[in-house]
Amino acid sequence: MRTGSALLAATICGTWAVVYLVTQVVVSPPLGVGTTVVAGTAASVLLVLGYPSALRGPRAPLALRRRLRGRPAGARPAAREGRGPEEGRGAERSRRRIVAGHRMPLRSGLTADAARRTATRLRPLLGGDAVVITDRELNLAFVGPGSDHHEAGGPVRAAAVRSAIGKGRTVVSRRPSAMGCDVPGCPLRSAVVVPLVVGSRVVGAIGVFRTHDDPAPRDQVEDMASILSLHLELAEADRERKLAADARLDALRAQINPHFLFNILNTIASKSRTDPDEARQLLLRLSDFFRYAVRQEGQLAEFAQEYFFVRTYLSLEQARFGDRLRVRYDVDPQVLTAHVPVLTIQPLVENAVKHGLAAKVEGGTVTLRARVDPLTRTTTIRVTDDGVGVAADVLDGLGGAAPGRAGDGVGLRNISERLTTLFGERFTLDIQSTEGEGTVVEVRVPLR
Amino acid sequence: MEYDDGVDEHDTPAEVDAAFRTLRRVAITHVVLFLVAVLGVPALSLTLGWWSDGQLAGGMSPGFAMAAFGLYAFFLVIGLAAASLSSAVEARMLGGRHTGEDDGFPADGDRS
Amino acid sequence: MTAAGAGTLAVLLALVTLVTLVMRPRGSSTVDFYLAGQRVGVASNALAICGDYFSAASFLGVAAAVYVSGLDGVWYAVGFAAGFVPVLLFVAAPLRRFGEFSIPDFLGRRLASERVRLVAVGVVQIVILSYLIPQAVGSGITWQLLVGRGLPGLSAYATGVVLSTAVVAGLVAFGGMRGTTWTQAIQFLLLLGALVWLALAVAGSGFHYSSAVAELSAEPLANPAQGDDGWYLRPEANQIDPGTPALFGQPGAAYGPLAQFALILTLVLGTAGLPHVMNRYFTSPTGTAARMTTVWVIGLAGLFYALAVMLGTAARQQIAAAVDDHPWLDELTVDGVLRVPEHALPVLGRIYGGDSGLAVVAAGALVAVMSTIAGLLLAAAASWGHDVYERHINPRASESQAVWAGRVSTAFVAVAAGVLAIAMEPRELTPAVPSIVAAMVTWAFAIAGSALTPVFVLAIWWRGTTAAGATAGMAVGGTVSVSMFVLGALPVGPGLGETLMTPTLVAAPLAALVTWLVSRRTAPPDDVERQWLVLHGTAADRHAERLARLTLASLEPTRRRSGRAARRREGRGANG
Repeated sequence: MRTGSALLAATICGTWAVVYLVTQVVVSPPLGVGTTVVAGTAASVLLVLGYPSALRGPRAPLALRRRLRGRPAGARPAAREGRGPEEGRGAERSRRRIVAGHRMPLRSGLTADAARRTATRLRPLLGGDAVVITDRELNLAFVGPGSDHHEAGGPVRAAAVRSAIGKGRTVVSRRPSAMGCDVPGCPLRSAVVVPLVVGSRVVGAIGVFRTHDDPAPRDQVEDMASILSLHLELAEADRERKLAADARLDALRAQINPHFLFNILNTIASKSRTDPDEARQLLLRLSDFFRYAVRQEGQLAEFAQEYFFVRTYLSLEQARFGDRLRVRYDVDPQVLTAHVPVLTIQPLVENAVKHGLAAKVEGGTVTLRARVDPLTRTTTIRVTDDGVGVAADVLDGLGGAAPGRAGDGVGLRNISERLTTLFGERFTLDIQSTEGEGTVVEVRVPLR
Repeated sequence: MEYDDGVDEHDTPAEVDAAFRTLRRVAITHVVLFLVAVLGVPALSLTLGWWSDGQLAGGMSPGFAMAAFGLYAFFLVIGLAAASLSSAVEARMLGGRHTGEDDGFPADGDRS
Repeated sequence: MTAAGAGTLAVLLALVTLVTLVMRPRGSSTVDFYLAGQRVGVASNALAICGDYFSAASFLGVAAAVYVSGLDGVWYAVGFAAGFVPVLLFVAAPLRRFGEFSIPDFLGRRLASERVRLVAVGVVQIVILSYLIPQAVGSGITWQLLVGRGLPGLSAYATGVVLSTAVVAGLVAFGGMRGTTWTQAIQFLLLLGALVWLALAVAGSGFHYSSAVAELSAEPLANPAQGDDGWYLRPEANQIDPGTPALFGQPGAAYGPLAQFALILTLVLGTAGLPHVMNRYFTSPTGTAARMTTVWVIGLAGLFYALAVMLGTAARQQIAAAVDDHPWLDELTVDGVLRVPEHALPVLGRIYGGDSGLAVVAAGALVAVMSTIAGLLLAAAASWGHDVYERHINPRASESQAVWAGRVSTAFVAVAAGVLAIAMEPRELTPAVPSIVAAMVTWAFAIAGSALTPVFVLAIWWRGTTAAGATAGMAVGGTVSVSMFVLGALPVGPGLGETLMTPTLVAAPLAALVTWLVSRRTAPPDDVERQWLVLHGTAADRHAERLARLTLASLEPTRRRSGRAARRREGRGANG
């Protein structure tokens, strides 16, 4: 996650090592201590200044980028099975501490693999000889003595487990008969079994067995079960949120303004007589625009791709508005490879054009400014227009958390919701506007 | 591909201006680094006695070693860095997809 | 010079001529003559730029400068090698994308002014001439040293000057740039080969670079000087710290504190204004290729100058050590130090390779001179033939008339340079400056860097540049740098003289300032936005790349088919 800062720290350490080697080891006589410190400090300052500067940025040609772009797309289905890629990280962060700093495998859902890893990890913690994790019918994982017949993947054998799942509450048994294993010679004698609950639904159980008659501490097992339940609940929520975000993205895609298409086609039709070359260029751009909007997969994309989408859009609008629409991009080289939520910038720009400038007779300038701060790991995107602005009361009416301009088809609300889904609390979406002077919308998201 | 009059490749003034200003920033930061190095070596030999008196393995001073080969390696590194960065920035900030194939929007996966 | 040496030299020169004739452009359109049809690969173009750039000043001069003044001579190598970094950052790609023949052409069209074009032609001619003269001088010196005899009626020096300029002028006039692109590349490879061979020979003889520098720095640096009673070794005065002796491995043997920076900056800024180097960029296929070409050039230049510096150091140590074994060194040296520092590499060659070694180094030197002269003559031809003749003297010139105008101007400039070089024959090669050839080349760099580079860079990167501003800037930069030379030639006191000889430190900022001030008061051309699209946009590049891809794709099946056909033919041959 913080690889950028780690890189900087490592480079600074390496630089100091080189400075030390050069000034103290390789050269005789060694350089004085004071001068060495000055040299090292100067080198470090240069590095730190250079780190967020235009010295860094994409270096690979585009062909490589294509390959890189393909990788996350291919990795995404797997990521859905494993830990959810980006979503819900904010919620996770506060809970991760619970199991002694370990990441909880069940966080991604009740799967055999995750259950096995959880059971292995929990066995010493819970003081049991054997630990079983089941879903409603099968043993998902069994660790400890007795795994020959309580095998993972096999049916639930212990009666105590079945009754805990059936009743939805904790079952403690102190005798082999109550524990209810029908295989003779089973070494397990006592058990504490707690159901795992998501919402009000029992989805499985966790059982802790011992080879003597004194069962494992009930409170501890129940606490652990409630933690596991919580994780399962979160995993479920992740999945739902992911579906919801996809649905929202689909909604956005479907919402490409028909007026926009209508206007552009009119522009192209009229240009096709006066300037066929430009008409053809516009058609190509229009096809690029739609291809991007329809095909873009996943929630995040390289800024360069989103930038392509924005400038395609703006060049179409410029063809329509002519000199009334002026555009200014201010893009840092480093930001080009940063990942930003897809279809986020273009709606902001579209709002600036539609609501800020279209109503203004003399037109105006839309400015897109994109920056990366690798030290605070944020990507900042600011869309400014010097259009008519938004009245203060309208702005207030938009509501802080989910601002959106009135009557706005592709609203800020959609963007805000998707950003919440992706980043939890860790983004800001600011909107400032002065009536008659213009609007500034600024999005800050974590750098990826 | 029967048409090839160069009309399809086209930049708008705003796009070119954006790439221009980004490249200008790249060039200026690199040239600052370049000047620091290229003027720093003689500056150090004027100010820091150790720079021309100290002896690397064998007897060459750090200053002489920098002027005799270190700086040329640095020029190559900074040149490569600047050239690859500028070209990559240009590739991302100008031009775009429309590869021209009549694909009727097939899935993007096969091309990525 | 023995028969073996002469034979080697003759073979090498014949090879160069042959390549020129074989690679001669078929059609003789103007574009072909000047620009090789703009289809020159990255590597070969980089080699050709190196051939243009590495002149006698680099080959003989840098080693000589290191030989004479140690670290202060190394700054020449640093400056020459560093010059391409600003070119890469500020000039290469936009210049190629704008796609004009020459620097005057570029400025003229960019600023939409014929006056700018003509002023730029003037400045370019001054730069070319002041670059040509030291090259011709260098070839004269080489001839003098190697052959020692002149043609009937001419001194050895004059013979060298006349032969080299005449041969190269002929090659350029009838080879065109395509011819010279290849000859330049091959000439550079020859030059680099000579240097590498020499470096290997020196290293093989047990030369230890690092300890050599320490050993040479152990005692004060002293160079031959001619006193009343013959030659003697005179210790160099330390320019930085008067009173202490100057040392090989420390600064101060030749330049004062300010002059060190002035020299480096002069060389760094000068490269971007060298017409014959900049013209090469127009032959790259795309702007991106021009950029990658420059990276190659930087790498090759680094290799070249690192070797040159090492050989200069080696010469200082090895020649002194070899005096006892090689009696022929007696007349060239004083107490083991060469009288003429430019002899350093040839003498090293003779020590390690006998007469053939001397011939290889001599061929390298002559080739360095010739390839640079070729580039300069071509640049001169381009600016006269294209910018002046086609535009102002005979606007309705046919293709062949324009080509002939280029050829005639080539001859004319060559004659002018030859005459000036003979007139300026250095009678006494005193080591007043580290190396006379390197110092003379510095003047060309200074004028280019003061008058052309600031205007050039501003025209590329600032929309507000106007024709009036550019004219004023070039005039001020040129005037200031030349008058500082004149001042520097007067006795103005120690330290200051060298600074005045490298005027870029003052003149270039002044030229930029004047350009800016005047431009602020005048209106830039109307179509500056459209020009920006060409200068900084990549649409044409992308189109060119796509065409290249399409061409390759359409060639592919043909090649496969013809391959099959060839196999079929073979099969038939076997059957029949």
